[in-house]
Amino acid sequence: MLPGRLFARNKTDIAVVKGDIETAVRKSVDMLGGISRFVKKGNRVVIKPNMSFAVGPERASNTHPLVAKTIAALCREAGAARVLILDNPLAPEERCLEASGIYAACESLEKGMTHMVSNPRSFREVEINNGQTLKKTEVMKEVLSADVLIAAPVAKSHSGAGVSLTMKGMMGLIQNRSVMHRRGLHECIVDLASLLTPQLAIVDATRVLTTGGPGGPGKVIIPETIIASTDMVAADAYTVAAFEWYGKTYAPNQVKHIRLAHERGLGRMDIENLKVRKQTV
Amino acid sequence: MGFRRTAQLVCLTAFLVLLAGAGHIQEADLFLRLDPALVGITAIAERKWSWLFLPALIVVFSAFLFGRIFCGYICPMGTSLDLYDEAHGAVAGRFFQRKPGKARHAPQWLSPRLNRHILVFLVGAAIAGVSLVSWMSPLSLITRFYGLIIYPVMEIVASQALVLIYPLVSWLDIRSLMFAELTPPRFTGRFVVLLCFFLIFAAGRITPRFWCRYLCPAGGLLAVAASKPLLRRRVSDACNQCGICAQKCPMGAIENCCPEATDHAACISCRTCESLCPQQAIEFSLQARPDRDAGPETALSKSRRQFLISGAAGLGTAAVSLTGLHAVSGKTVEGRVLGERLIRPPGALPEPSFLASCVRCGECMSACPTNTLQPIWFDAGFLGMFSPAITPRRKYCDPRCTACGEVCPTGAIRTLSAEDRVWARTGTAIIYRQKCLAWEHKKSCMVCDEVCPYDAIAFENKPGLPYPVPHVKENRCAGCGYCEHYCPVTNKAAIVVTPMNALRLSTGTYREAGEIRKYKLSLRPPTVSLEPRTYPGATGMGTKHPEETPDNGSKGRAPGFDAGY
Repeated sequence: MLPGRLFARNKTDIAVVKGDIETAVRKSVDMLGGISRFVKKGNRVVIKPNMSFAVGPERASNTHPLVAKTIAALCREAGAARVLILDNPLAPEERCLEASGIYAACESLEKGMTHMVSNPRSFREVEINNGQTLKKTEVMKEVLSADVLIAAPVAKSHSGAGVSLTMKGMMGLIQNRSVMHRRGLHECIVDLASLLTPQLAIVDATRVLTTGGPGGPGKVIIPETIIASTDMVAADAYTVAAFEWYGKTYAPNQVKHIRLAHERGLGRMDIENLKVRKQTV
Repeated sequence: MGFRRTAQLVCLTAFLVLLAGAGHIQEADLFLRLDPALVGITAIAERKWSWLFLPALIVVFSAFLFGRIFCGYICPMGTSLDLYDEAHGAVAGRFFQRKPGKARHAPQWLSPRLNRHILVFLVGAAIAGVSLVSWMSPLSLITRFYGLIIYPVMEIVASQALVLIYPLVSWLDIRSLMFAELTPPRFTGRFVVLLCFFLIFAAGRITPRFWCRYLCPAGGLLAVAASKPLLRRRVSDACNQCGICAQKCPMGAIENCCPEATDHAACISCRTCESLCPQQAIEFSLQARPDRDAGPETALSKSRRQFLISGAAGLGTAAVSLTGLHAVSGKTVEGRVLGERLIRPPGALPEPSFLASCVRCGECMSACPTNTLQPIWFDAGFLGMFSPAITPRRKYCDPRCTACGEVCPTGAIRTLSAEDRVWARTGTAIIYRQKCLAWEHKKSCMVCDEVCPYDAIAFENKPGLPYPVPHVKENRCAGCGYCEHYCPVTNKAAIVVTPMNALRLSTGTYREAGEIRKYKLSLRPPTVSLEPRTYPGATGMGTKHPEETPDNGSKGRAPGFDAGY
């Protein structure tokens, strides 16, 4: 129908902004309709960056501190009652917080914002209604009680999942990850993403770890780019197509969990049919 | 509250604070190093002197001057026994009818010299190079008791309390409490410790401080030093032989027959007699006054013979222990039968020295932030009981952590610099391919690589296998156990740490020893600087180990990607 198609053409599905980190994050959110579209006054927000490796931003294994900080600042400006930046690392928590630079950056914004959660008592088991392989999992209580979930993954390769982006990053909000490896990583990532679907995905491609991910060390390229979408699958798909992985280019459908998520209607990987707006700031 | 009780409580509190802060604060092992039995036996068994032993020498010296004040005022074991005794008395007094005036007397057959016999027994064993002091050292025992039993229980209670108050603190938005995480440590082998303490506390029903009077080898050593101290109990002529002091003396240092005489070797200068004496005939002083002390009632030759027998018994026990299958001696490893998973802490001395030096106090286990250090049973034979070992399945041994060496009172685990710690290899990981998800079950799993802090796992595509599979780069592996801990395979992991190639040095740096052996141990280094900037398509910056960047695979595809549609 005509009106619908017109509307769809004006709406930005994927915002791609290159330039200064803080400006690029703000611009990308603006292009999707502004932060107020996602965060209302009084909301509780959880931001999920990658901060589970005790290495600095130059290694591109963690989200850039400025990306996390800018998103948190946006949420506060929108009047969020509580903004938390959470992850559940495998490496020692304190050192991840420190080395990633995220703790220091966000603490300057508001004290007590950034936390690692790993105690079993801080999780609650929930059913995954649309899960096919993973039917239930334990999720951080803070995530379950949040109104808004914003994903802020760094773009990186992953020797098991191909890439570690928005959907893979949701594994940082649950307790039992090993079961996912046993049952089939890609299938479980999709099941989990059907439960934990971020309203907003902001992929940090200011640096991309194109080899040796997730922990590195590997080849780091510096596209200085932010990719944002309300569709986590689209954001991941665009990121796969936009950069080299181990020196070659790939189609989004070559990453199994992106392909499965698309097939199950969790989002779209056919970026050629989506409205992509690019800007340089 | 008198001076003595205040001093006792201050010392017990200091001991508990140091133990709780083990790994975080300096000199956390100070109280252990005050124990003259622990230090003396270790010095003999290991045949070494260390400045670490100085505090115990000071304690022995103090006994020459002031008697057994260590026992009466400082020792956390003594204080714990006193407090338990009083608490028991108070509770029993409230709930049960007390038998009035029933004094607790030691059985006649028990010799007050028993503690010295135990000491001589331990010395005998130590001369043979075998340290059995962990069975009897008061500070070793009490450190284990609080560190492995009391503290974990307190932590689990506190962590439950945090769960209970969570709704409230979340509503109040108190972030520090909302996210406060306590992970109570868990230990094996605690029932032995509990049984020991049940017996020690229960023996207090026979006489107060039964342990201190008859069993404690540290008390025995101090008794020898305190046979006639400068500051001691003296009784004036005002004494009318009422005998109250003899009845109330917790150490049995005063005989009923002759209250004016003192067995200084037993006296802990608690001054109970001084405060109770109706005639005020007793004082603890330096002044020279003719005193009427209890002389040695046993013929010296007879007692000497008995001590020789005790020493010989110690030597004999050592000899029997050394003929156990698992006993280790000398440097050669050939023919050694030890647990296949016996992984000692980083910086542990070579096994024979380690066993001679380790006093099994459990301080390292209390200090271990990941709770991976656990007491072992018979993995290292009878002589290795209750010594610490890494249990990677519980958690990894953090290559940046040096806590266990810092708190070890005897240097059985060496204190390492941060740099040398990275080189203090504890073992090597091996992969059980028939258990591995990637190798055997053809699943996508790379957890061992993801978590390895040394970058010691290589993932490669193999023909016939859909996903890359792991290999251990032996010369880069330090045996830290991250891989084993996080391996998703249930119960026994598909990648496990074995003690192979562990560095056990008594001198020299681990780095030097590792480099000679061609090890390449380094924590994953940061990549080179971000300049020059590169963009998609451009050839990128080099990586630190370009030769080991996972190969593009047999199909030339990036790991984890597939053919797509």
